[in-house]
Amino acid sequence: MRIAAKPIAGRRPLWEHRRIFGFVLLGILTVLLMVFNIAVGSIPISPEEIWSTLTQPQSTSLYNDIIWKIRIPRTISAILGGAYLAVSGLLLQVYFRNPIVGPFILGISSGATVMVSFVMLTTLTVGMTVISPFVTTLAAFIGAYAVMMVVVAIAYRVKSGITLLIVGLMMGYLCHAITSILTALAEKEKIKGFVLWQLGSFSGFGWNEIFVLCILGGMVLALIYFLSKPLNAFLLGETYASSMGVNIRRFRILILLCACALAGMITSVAGPVAFIGLAVPHMARLVFQTSDNRILIPGACLMGAAVTSLCDFIARMLLSPVELPLSAVTAFFGAPVVIGLLVKRRVEL
Amino acid sequence: MNTSETNHVLSCTDLAVGYKDKTVLSDLRLEFAPGQFVSLLGPNGAGKTTLLRTFSRQLPPVSGVISLMGRPIGQIKAMDLARYMAVVLTEKISPPLFSVFEFVALGRYPHTDFLGRMGQADRRAVEKALAAVNAGNLAHRSFSDLSDGERQKALVARALAQEPRLLLLDEPTLHLDLKHRMEVMSILRNLCHSRGITVVASLHDVDVAAKVSDRVALIKDGGVSAWGMPETVLSGPVVADLYDFNDARFSSRLGGIEFRGTGSKGRIFVLAGAGTGALVYRMLIKRGFAVSTGILCSNDVDYYVARCLGADCMTQTSMTWVSSETLAEAGKKLDACELVIDCGFDNGHGPISQGNRKLLQMALKKGKRVMSLRGNGIEKIDPDLSATDRPIICRDAAELLEAIDHRAWANHEQKQTSNPSPTAA
Repeated sequence: MRIAAKPIAGRRPLWEHRRIFGFVLLGILTVLLMVFNIAVGSIPISPEEIWSTLTQPQSTSLYNDIIWKIRIPRTISAILGGAYLAVSGLLLQVYFRNPIVGPFILGISSGATVMVSFVMLTTLTVGMTVISPFVTTLAAFIGAYAVMMVVVAIAYRVKSGITLLIVGLMMGYLCHAITSILTALAEKEKIKGFVLWQLGSFSGFGWNEIFVLCILGGMVLALIYFLSKPLNAFLLGETYASSMGVNIRRFRILILLCACALAGMITSVAGPVAFIGLAVPHMARLVFQTSDNRILIPGACLMGAAVTSLCDFIARMLLSPVELPLSAVTAFFGAPVVIGLLVKRRVEL
Repeated sequence: MNTSETNHVLSCTDLAVGYKDKTVLSDLRLEFAPGQFVSLLGPNGAGKTTLLRTFSRQLPPVSGVISLMGRPIGQIKAMDLARYMAVVLTEKISPPLFSVFEFVALGRYPHTDFLGRMGQADRRAVEKALAAVNAGNLAHRSFSDLSDGERQKALVARALAQEPRLLLLDEPTLHLDLKHRMEVMSILRNLCHSRGITVVASLHDVDVAAKVSDRVALIKDGGVSAWGMPETVLSGPVVADLYDFNDARFSSRLGGIEFRGTGSKGRIFVLAGAGTGALVYRMLIKRGFAVSTGILCSNDVDYYVARCLGADCMTQTSMTWVSSETLAEAGKKLDACELVIDCGFDNGHGPISQGNRKLLQMALKKGKRVMSLRGNGIEKIDPDLSATDRPIICRDAAELLEAIDHRAWANHEQKQTSNPSPTAA
């Protein structure tokens, strides 16, 4: 580890090699998993068929719908979901200077869940014979962003991050209380659907959702990347950051808005996908061996995309044609990783 | 008035600091010139940190104005402020996966572009900052692996990377070992001299502060109780009052703090002079003895130590003969003591030496138990002493202590009970 003899500036290239290597590796991995996710599924399709379907999107081939309406949107959404959740988690971990914080710590998922439970468990939708995915999405969206606005409004008032963290946790408990009351009162048949929604899935994405998510999320990601300098200063805590010229109040609101916006987007469509936002930033730190957010933000994006693609692949294929709940797979995958990292203390925050 | 104000790096008039519902310090009027080392001294909770937080704009002043480089601090943009002023806090931080170089580079924040990219000049500034705190060799180490002392140096380097005119430090030597405590202080001292940076630090070691500071502000009871050069401000009573000392005393001349004892174990007369007594006084007072001493010259280091320790001193100026009254008074004090220690004062022909020699002869004649650290024997002083009354010769302090603690003291008491003498007091 010691390269003390070299001049101070001489170490940079070594690190940059590692970083470039990391990006290339993760990029290749993501592309590979993307190919797998499109090529493999519960209905076996030969590679030639897939190729011809891909090259002739307008063809009326048997598999056209499967590829273009199911597999490709799902693959893309897994990538987007993973990337957004990972960056959202990274932001909040830096902001709270706490390694066990994830994107849902402020109650985003709970807010979404409450609204969805109103839709799925009560008789509000009694007129509808089948609850359309669009209604669920809308409900989750409203829930997630309502909670976000409450959190941001509180963030204007309170000074310390810890207070905000506790407020977020309390919001989560409140929402959970409402959800559990509704669950207790709900009809049996409705509960299963609701429980499965709570475990998250990327199957709900259509092309419309993907376009919206790409554009909005892309803008938020760009904004976050431009925040990476103050984010780095934030690693030293609020007082040092403000002594170096960071406008704490404005920055805090920006971080919370960005993190919640990304997590809220994904939650609206995919439900609360657990663990990605918590574990992936740690994995990214391990791979890139840095806390520099200029590296970690794109790093966590790629890492999230790769890990989520892998988890989605496992969820779909392990007991195919039965699909496992995504959150179960991510937890199986993520929990040991986080425990291992923290026990070995390879990664700290 | 106006021109002199702009010469100050930081100045405040009628400043009150504190929190919404509680003013901690008020009526502050301080001016820090370029290159000055300013120490804020005071007991815990006096408001040193609150004052530093107000100076660094973490906390708005309750009333009054703070001017930085002649401009009201509230009107300076945050980025500009960061170029003028850097802080080192007590808050323990451990950013993960940072090399010391990268950590110090974070201090370039107000100088780098919107993505924080480091140019050639930034790199040089970081290297310079590391060199200024003797931490060039730490550059590649991981920040989280540093010891407390190395970490503090890195924190100072990070602040220096901001290239500030003013450096505010909250208890920079807290939790450091002696080596690093001294190193950090001398680094800060050098920054004032070589770079003209104004250093404002809250300190606990009043002795160190007295030696490094150009100005001290004593903070107590809701205000600055004294402000000025340590040479004029810091005296024994002022420091004792500042910290509410009861059994310790600061001496500006000795530059340190002496601990006073209970004096419960009995009184010992010490014949000393020219620095022979200083260690003996400390040793005796530490062990709980009360000390009378004399006759000391008023320019003798023994005198300052004895006075600081609260010993009963007989003094006089150097070039006069010891008068018979002084000698008689010293004799009385000697009588009241249970034991006499001769530290081996200069056995020459100076006026005070002769006075002390007379005192020693007096003690021997009266049959006092005398212990002597005089290596070459005491016979010269009084050749016709009887063998039993001969002083106990001790080669060093350890032997002296042993003699006091065990043999001699007990013998003495025995002697006292067998033939009562006027010394029983």
